[in-house]
Order: sequence, then structure tokens, then C-alpha cells
Amino acid sequence: MRPILLQGHERSLTQIKYNRDGDLLFSTAKDHVVCAWYSVNGERLGTYNGHQGALWTVDIDPTSTLLATGAADNTIKIWNVQTGKSLKTWDFPTAVKRVEFSEDGTLLLAVTEQRMGHLGTVVVFPIIVDVNAAQADAPLFTITFRESKATVAAWSYLNKYIITGHEDGTVSQYDGKDGELIQDIQAHEIGGQITDIQMAPDRTYFVTASKDKSAKIMDVDNLKILKTFVTDTPLNTAALTPKKDFVILGGGQEARDVTTTSQRQGKFEARFYHKIFEDEIGRVRGHFGPLNTIAVHPQGTGYASGAEDGYVRVHHFDKPYFDFSYEVERMKA
Amino acid sequence: MPDTSRANWADDEEFDDPTVLPQQQVISNPDGTKTIITYRFNDANKKIKTTRKIRTTVVKEHVNPRVAERKEWPKFGAEKGHVRGPDLSTTSVGENIIFRPSSNWKSSNKEENKEEDSLRDQLKDKKVACRICKGDHFTARCPFKDTLPPLDDVGASGGGGGGDGGNGAEDVGGLGMTKGSYVAPHLRGKKGAGETMGGGFKDRDDLATLRVTNVSEFAEENDLRDMFERFGRVTRVFLAKDRETGRAKGFAFISFADRGDAQRACEKMEGFGYGHLILRVEFAKKSA
Repeated sequence: MRPILLQGHERSLTQIKYNRDGDLLFSTAKDHVVCAWYSVNGERLGTYNGHQGALWTVDIDPTSTLLATGAADNTIKIWNVQTGKSLKTWDFPTAVKRVEFSEDGTLLLAVTEQRMGHLGTVVVFPIIVDVNAAQADAPLFTITFRESKATVAAWSYLNKYIITGHEDGTVSQYDGKDGELIQDIQAHEIGGQITDIQMAPDRTYFVTASKDKSAKIMDVDNLKILKTFVTDTPLNTAALTPKKDFVILGGGQEARDVTTTSQRQGKFEARFYHKIFEDEIGRVRGHFGPLNTIAVHPQGTGYASGAEDGYVRVHHFDKPYFDFSYEVERMKA
Repeated sequence: MPDTSRANWADDEEFDDPTVLPQQQVISNPDGTKTIITYRFNDANKKIKTTRKIRTTVVKEHVNPRVAERKEWPKFGAEKGHVRGPDLSTTSVGENIIFRPSSNWKSSNKEENKEEDSLRDQLKDKKVACRICKGDHFTARCPFKDTLPPLDDVGASGGGGGGDGGNGAEDVGGLGMTKGSYVAPHLRGKKGAGETMGGGFKDRDDLATLRVTNVSEFAEENDLRDMFERFGRVTRVFLAKDRETGRAKGFAFISFADRGDAQRACEKMEGFGYGHLILRVEFAKKSA
């Protein structure tokens, strides 16, 4: 497969997302713009200009009408996907590290940073999926973290729970209606910061990536750890692939150590693991910085990875990828 | 006064004019294909006839209407006003990556490491000896490298250098030469560094090397290797290639492990037709 290289950013990538139909790709980096791309040929559709600080996160609603971004300028902005116009800005006391629309697009959660005496929070806003509608000013509810701050969060199926991943390696489950804590467990090693949570397409389970060099698949309802993938490098991102039962993990040396190690040692590769057997089945190299974010095409036909080196690489899987299966899988089929 | 505007009878179009091309012909075949015959002149002013057989097939593709609509969206932001299609300044295609998932990926990868490890093991048995103090470290790591000349040189220069420390240090500074002054490579004795390097290179080229000329410019080293390996073990194939075009320059050297094999290959391959050319094979002359 020949990857498409997208060079729209001047600084390291922070998050990339496909829309639900998989034809558009959105990328955010530490420079101040969001880029929208056609995933099929890597053509840039446009940029969303207006943020004053590094962008940390992006998400698109299921109908590809509204785009939400969170940035280090302490704001969340809602954009008109088609025109690139900013529709709404919410201000916060600290940076916004993660935003995510709920499954139906009517709720937006945002993780804010713990800094300057402010505690880390998750805030939930009601959203009207219409470019002409006035969005609410006040959040529905706020979850405040007294102990370890949340770094990532995601919606479960039917907006039933909010799953949060924390700096100390714990995963918590909150009620999606009022933000009550239901349970939390120490999923990863203590201090192994959780760097990414991505939901399965049906949102009944999710994969976590952690700095403790492992990724885990957990059940949304009871937070049971179903699978564990052990690697040899700190992970920044993990993604589940539809159509094939794989998990793609990305990570690598800490950005600050990159200059002191060789590229080969840096382990800047996307690692493919089999979701069920937990075996590593292959790697895709190409980046020359640690991978910060991976997004998989919703139809499972490809994936895109963004790295510290400022590049997005869009891969369209070819035949060997779809042909590969384990002996036991073939017997079943 | 004769009428000069009247065309010469010799230019009459009814005659077969070599500068005029026949009309393009389109023939519809019974199997649904079309044959198109066109004529043109090439660079050498020769008439070229091109026959193309074309089959038209209609491929229906169902596209999600939402996706199709989004494809028509005008560009905005930094891309505002730009034409449709990927822009080379932001989008490029990377090198082809061969990605084949395999269930024993880990073990196959380990084998690779094993090779590396075995190499390391081999080197482990090699004794490292410092040229300065004969200790078991590299010369570059020697604690005395700035203060002492190499041991061999101390012996060679007799009392001259070894006598006092100050003189020794000066010698080392002068490119490691004990005589103190620079000696050109060709004036150095048998033990000079340049001489040994050249010697090693020539040893390889010895007597079992064939020079193959009149090689097709589309030749590949592997093809040559395959051709000559029939006669015995080939230790080296060198095909001269143009640096810019990457095409073969027309000659190659083939080194055999055994001179007998080379002799046989030379006899058999002389006059062998390869590509569209007749190979010339002879023993390589030793370069001066």
C-alpha cells in the first residue's frame, strides 16, 4: 500500500478523526489550525482558523454538520463543517484536552486540564445539530476530579456512561445522565497515564492506550479487562479496526528523547495486534517521530496516523490485509 | 508571362505523396470492441502505424449521496478558491509499504534479531587489543593515546622516539608517523596503511574475473549472475551503470571463486546472445 502524506501542519499532530461516512478526515496539531481532508485522495478541503493556542482535540458529529475542537487557548469551538465558520465558543479556565460527541450527536463532552489551582473536569454540553441553531451557554453538568485528573473520556452506547481515563492509570465509569461516579478500577499500572480511549463501533467495549506500554480492551458495562496487549514502548494511541479483528497501537519514545535515540530504536511504527489472540501480527513504519494519534476508517478500509513529526499518513489497506486470518478463523468460516 | 500560381502537375494530390498520412480508420468489431488505426510520423520522420483495440465497459458505482454532496463542497479557509484535486504542497504519495500481517510475525522478527546476535557473538570472541598499550580496549579508548606513540612504532624508531615523553607526544600528533614528518602513501614501506588497503582490493580481483562487454543497457546484475552461475560459484558481479539514467553502460565484471569455472564460462559465453546483443567475454586484465 502506498500511504498518502498530508503536510498541512507545521507542528506535531494531536488528534485525527474520520467522519462517520469515512470520506472526510480532520486533523489537529499544535499549530493553531484544524485541517479537513478528503480521505480518498488526501486533498485538503479547507482549514478552520480562529484558535489562539495549540489544538488538542477534534470531533465531528455523526451527520458531518458540526465540528468541535478543544485547544490550549482554553476554549471549545463549534464549527460549521462545510464553510469553516466558527459558530460557538465556550471559554474555560484551563486547556481542553479532549472533546467527543455522543453517539447521536446531541451531547458533547469535554475534558479540561487541571492547572493553576483549577481541578480537572469533564463538562457535558447539549448540542443542537444544526448550523443555524444557537447552542446553549451553560453545560448540563460537570464532573470534577478531586484525585487524579482525567486525560481522556468517551461516551458509551446510548449515552449511558461516560468512561474516563486518568493520569494515574485508572479508568472510571460515570453516569451519562447526571455524572455520578459508578465505579473506577486501576486498569493500568499506577502512574501509567492513559493516553487514549477509543470506542468500538457499537460502543459496548473500548480500547485504552497507556504510558505503561500496554493497551487494554475493556467492557463498557462492568469495566472488565477483556484483552491486554503488551508492547515495548509507551503508547499514545490505540484504535480498533472494523471488518477485521485487529487493534492498531501507536507510540514511541517520548518526544523529548527523540533526538538522543536512533530512528530504529525509536519504535515509531504502527503496531497491529490481533484483537482476540493478542498477538502482534505486523508493523507499519514510515513516521520519524512517535505516533500521537491513529484513526481507523469507519468501514475498516484504511487508517490514518499522525505523529510528532507533523505528518499525517493515510493508508488504504490492500489485499493481504483483508486476506489474513488465523487458521482457526478460516476453519470457522 | 507564365502563370506561376498554377499548381505544378507533379504536385497533383492523386499521386501517392509520402508526406501525407492516411486517414484514421475506426472499425467496429463484432465482439463489441473497436479497432482504431492511426498513422503518424516519428522523430526520425518515419511513418508509424498504430493499431489500438478498445473495449468500452460501463462500470456502475454506488456512492453514498452524502459523500457525493460533500465532494462538491467549495474549499474554505487556507484552501479558499483553490481548484479541485490534491495540491502537491500539502499532499504527496509516500513510498510503497509492504504490509503483510502474519500470525508468526514475532518469531520471524526474532530470527532477524538472531542473525544480528550471532554476528555479535562472533565479534565477542575477537580479542580487542589496543595498538598503543596492548590492553583489551579499542585504541581510540586508550587512556595513553594522547601521551604514548603506538608500541610497534616505538620499536621501529628505536631510541629516537621512545627516549623522552615529550618527543613521543609530538610523534603521535603528526598523523601517527614516527619519523615526525609526513610521508606520502606511495613512499611508505610495505606496512603503510594505503598499501595494505590497495592490496586487499586487488587480491579479490585476482585471476578468475571475466570482463563482459557488449552488454545490453537493460541488463540487470541478477540476470548476469543467473547466466554465469551455471559454470560455478560467482563471488561478485559488477555491472557498470550510468549514475544518472541508472542504465547499464555496456560492460560488467564477473568474478568466479574458481579459475577453472571462469575459463569454462569464458569459452561458453563468448558470443552468447543476450538481450539483442552478442556478448564478448574475456579475462579481465589486471589494472595497472
